[in-house]
Amino acid sequence: MATVTSWVEHLSADEVAGAVYPFIGTEWLWLTIAVVFWLWFHVATGAGEAEEQQKLARKRPGSNDYKKNITDW
Amino acid sequence: MTDQLGALTTIFTEFYYWITVVLMFLIHVGFCMYEVGASRYKHHQHTLMKNTMLIPLVTVTWFFFGWWIYWAFPTGPGIAPSIMTESTGLILGGGFGANELANPMDPIMAINLNDHINGVFWAAFLLFSWTAASIVSGAIIERITVFAFGILAIAIGSVFWTIDAAWGWHFDGWMLKVLGYHDAYASGVIHAIAGGFALGVLAVLGPRIGKFSSSGEPRNIGPRNPWLVCIGLFLIYTGFWGFYAACNIPIFDLGPEYGMEGVTFFTATNIYVTPTTLSGITMTFLLSLSGGLLSGYWVSKGDPFWTYSGGLAGIITASAGNDLYHPLQSLIIAGIGTYIAYKMHYWVERRFKIDDAVGAVAVHGYAGVVGLVICGFVLWGYPSSGYDGLGYAAINPIGMIIGAVIMFGVLGFVPGWILAKILHGAGKLRIPREVELAGLDYNIMEAANKDEKAVASSNR
Repeated sequence: MATVTSWVEHLSADEVAGAVYPFIGTEWLWLTIAVVFWLWFHVATGAGEAEEQQKLARKRPGSNDYKKNITDW
Repeated sequence: MTDQLGALTTIFTEFYYWITVVLMFLIHVGFCMYEVGASRYKHHQHTLMKNTMLIPLVTVTWFFFGWWIYWAFPTGPGIAPSIMTESTGLILGGGFGANELANPMDPIMAINLNDHINGVFWAAFLLFSWTAASIVSGAIIERITVFAFGILAIAIGSVFWTIDAAWGWHFDGWMLKVLGYHDAYASGVIHAIAGGFALGVLAVLGPRIGKFSSSGEPRNIGPRNPWLVCIGLFLIYTGFWGFYAACNIPIFDLGPEYGMEGVTFFTATNIYVTPTTLSGITMTFLLSLSGGLLSGYWVSKGDPFWTYSGGLAGIITASAGNDLYHPLQSLIIAGIGTYIAYKMHYWVERRFKIDDAVGAVAVHGYAGVVGLVICGFVLWGYPSSGYDGLGYAAINPIGMIIGAVIMFGVLGFVPGWILAKILHGAGKLRIPREVELAGLDYNIMEAANKDEKAVASSNR
């Protein structure tokens, strides 16, 4: 829902409201979603990283084996 | 903004901070290049990603709670009374006990037609946060998990450095009032704390495989791409122009601010709202860079890596007092700090088997501490604040030494060590030994090689 429907009316008010973003009053909801996303990111990427490294560790490549995988420029 | 002059001042200030943010972005570009250049080929891409991902992690947490902490804890809490009153418009009590402008749900933390400063000021501080986290990132390359580094980056970037900024880098900070702490361009509040934090992590993380011989002799694992390192450090120098400008308030009438009736005195000020000039700090910045470069070249016998790092260490050493020093004082102080940082790096490496891959603890931590201590002597007796009669101690050596201990030790080394211990205990701190030997990029390189072979053998 639009917070501002007419800039003329908005800016000519006795006291101009500063906030113009949509859905004023629902900031708590956006913050909650953002915090959940942030925490999920740590869990998901942390698990993925550990799994990938365990897999590589089991292959036990030598410390110079990467050289055979160097591609052309 | 109802008159043209007021509007011009406000919009100028808004644009000024915006420019500093853009310039400071180059610090991060430089750190990324520097770290990749210092890492070995088989770790390049992960090294880059580790440093890059601190950008979103520190940014979102800085929005959630980092900025709030800065405005919540200048008084300790409970160590020294606040001077924030109704007249300053910055009363404690809004937004979870801090100031309203730091509450992530407050309308001022968004596009707001009645405010032109909060967002750019928030962003300038955020870029300082990235710098703090990036300093730690360089020291621990090639053996830490991205997961662990993400936690540590948030800890230093959105929690511990912002506590020290509230205490010692805020016009209402208790360290100014009680200790006479002065740190205009963040020798301590960014560099010493980040260096101390990195040292705490390194003490738990351990060295890279092969760094020390079986008899304990350190081996040099020098930068694999010196050109990338050099360009990276040049970019960090460039970004430091923005860093210095962002530590100032560009235009302020100190007459009414200090309660001087009938006095008008427009000037730039530092973060403590005491006067300085952008013109003057341009000279102190360049002379401290020069002092560091000269000293770094001399002490390292012309080693490019340490000469460039010396320039940075020089700036960092002189930064605490560069709002007031004579440029030639900046030159000498920078030279001393760089010499000590270089010597300390190799002594600590040999004595405690600390593998600081890029010399971050030395360049930021030791140089920052030296800078604080020297500042206490050279600026002894200067007021730490312009708010006379409100209980601020003057700058003094003891206060600055205690301040250095708080920055490097209490808020830097100790939290870094504790968090690293917890992550180590959970098995999340260090990558497996086999992965470190093979290279963090092994899987990516192997996949790229298969793709290349498949493409090369194709005929349609």
